[in-house]
Amino acid sequence: MTTREIEHTADLGIEIETADLSGLFSEAAEALFGLVADSDDINPKEKIAVSAMGQGWEELFHAWLCELLAQFNLKGFVGKRCEIVSLLPERVEGLIWGECLDLERHRFYTEIKGVTYHDFKVWQEDGMWRARVIFDV
Amino acid sequence: MSRENTTAGDEIKLRRVAEWLWEIPRQGGMRVPGRIYASEELLPSLQDNNSLRQVMNVACLPGIVGYSLAMPDIHWGYGFPIGGVAAMDYDNGVISPGGVGYDINCGVRLVRTNLVFRDVEEKIPRLVEALFSSIPSGVGAHGAIPKISLGDERRLLREGARWAVGEGYGRQEDLEYMEEGGALQGADADLLSERALERGLRQVGTLGSGNHFLEIGRVEEIYRTREAEILGLFPDQLLVLIHTGSRGLGYQTCEDFLKVMNRATGKYQIDIPDRQLACTPVKSPEGQDYLAAMACAANYAWANRQVIMSQAEKAFIRVLGISPRELGFFLIYDVCHNIAKIEEHVVEGKPRRVCVHRKGATRAFPPNHPLIPKAYRQIGQPVLVPGDMGRYSFLLVGTETAMEATFGSTCHGAGRVMSRAQSRKISRGINIDQEMARRGVVARYQGRATMAEEMPHSYKDVAAVVETMERAGISKKVARFRPVGIIKG
Repeated sequence: MTTREIEHTADLGIEIETADLSGLFSEAAEALFGLVADSDDINPKEKIAVSAMGQGWEELFHAWLCELLAQFNLKGFVGKRCEIVSLLPERVEGLIWGECLDLERHRFYTEIKGVTYHDFKVWQEDGMWRARVIFDV
Repeated sequence: MSRENTTAGDEIKLRRVAEWLWEIPRQGGMRVPGRIYASEELLPSLQDNNSLRQVMNVACLPGIVGYSLAMPDIHWGYGFPIGGVAAMDYDNGVISPGGVGYDINCGVRLVRTNLVFRDVEEKIPRLVEALFSSIPSGVGAHGAIPKISLGDERRLLREGARWAVGEGYGRQEDLEYMEEGGALQGADADLLSERALERGLRQVGTLGSGNHFLEIGRVEEIYRTREAEILGLFPDQLLVLIHTGSRGLGYQTCEDFLKVMNRATGKYQIDIPDRQLACTPVKSPEGQDYLAAMACAANYAWANRQVIMSQAEKAFIRVLGISPRELGFFLIYDVCHNIAKIEEHVVEGKPRRVCVHRKGATRAFPPNHPLIPKAYRQIGQPVLVPGDMGRYSFLLVGTETAMEATFGSTCHGAGRVMSRAQSRKISRGINIDQEMARRGVVARYQGRATMAEEMPHSYKDVAAVVETMERAGISKKVARFRPVGIIKG
């Protein structure tokens, strides 16, 4: 399982590679929150359930990232650990452990404005699942 | 990138049209050529090809007229390049939220004062402190003013800056000095999602994060005295520059409508080279809905900047212990640089109604244009071009050439030259506070990471950007100002 930051002039992107599809969704969740704040400081004391719907893996993956971002944007929640509970081509359900951002205790990195479709891809290659996504920051 | 006449390179050929203008000839699915304004000095910043590829992609959109244009601050964005301008025929063209961006009506306003820098120099740290405490910045910033009700929010979305003035933030006369008078017509709050409305309730009057800021600047150089006088500028004058947009409400509206556009692109069988360019015919129900929703977010941004300006005025009065009259906090102008507007332009000798997308580009209308304030009719529309936070920013005015060549548009900023990761890496060895102090800037900020990504080394020299547009005759320099204080998220 690897996640690397994509060099992009204005924005931030990540490319993820995992052995299985549910790992792609959980790794993406942890990576997204890791762009928002330093996850080392996050205490996984609260558990929230997040679900998303979409047609096909790519749409579903995009919708999942948007839902995760909404947790931060609406409640200030930053996840540290994610577990996928159910994954079907049209629906994903997961549990996220984390806490609300507290600027006194947490190191904040970046406000993400949106999950773009630019160069957005979810694909399988050499037996691995991969995803590439660029966030507007 | 290769340059015919001058250089050779890999895949994208650039043909030199004029000293400051380069063309990507029509090829593949391009419906019009691409045109990029860049000096020799700025050209190397295009070397990665990504932004040029985006100029070509935009040229493929249905109904695009003239050229797919890029200003000299062009850099790699998502979908459209940042610094991109594209006009689509209103009857046969498309509108794309990707051509506006997540931060709908991200923009800049410039406020003048009666203050002379040398008279208040010692008080700059206290001013910066007061501004930092009264204007929330940073991620999810909220609480500049009490949380508004949903009813108030709907009124704000319809009325824009006028709502803020009605609530006691600023003065009626401010409205005259904003693009569109601070409110786009046709805003319909019923088209916004509950999530967008929820995100908007507590963020009025906040700066946010990223490249947004409030800057205290001093007039360092005046290039055109007549224009400067009309704009009320004098040497060493203290100014305030505010750069922010529609906050979470705008981001959410873009996200919601990208989904609508994804479906519409299929429904209307539009072939696009990048999914972020998802679009719909301007006149389709989806296109009209987007325009009405975008207007809500644009109006939110104007209200936001209006409240911030009013809070800044109060902070100045409090710290300096002077009257509003002595302070003379007067709005010079407010421009948007992420927007789609329905405008009339002459294309191939004929007047045409077009939808002009400006994504990281500023409207630059010429003297005597009916849409600019009466006080500025003889000089043209003021254009505000912030640079990086350590060097300088510019005030320009629009020209007739801009109307002929760029659909009345010019640059919007310095333009990034390196990724955020690279900027952070370079900033690692820098003491940000010391570096800003060395540059004569008092800085207060929420997050070191954001500051590290926004340090001057991350950007092109904005002077080269505005100079390109000056030489090309698109906009004219009036004044340059240097930051002396800054607050950031």
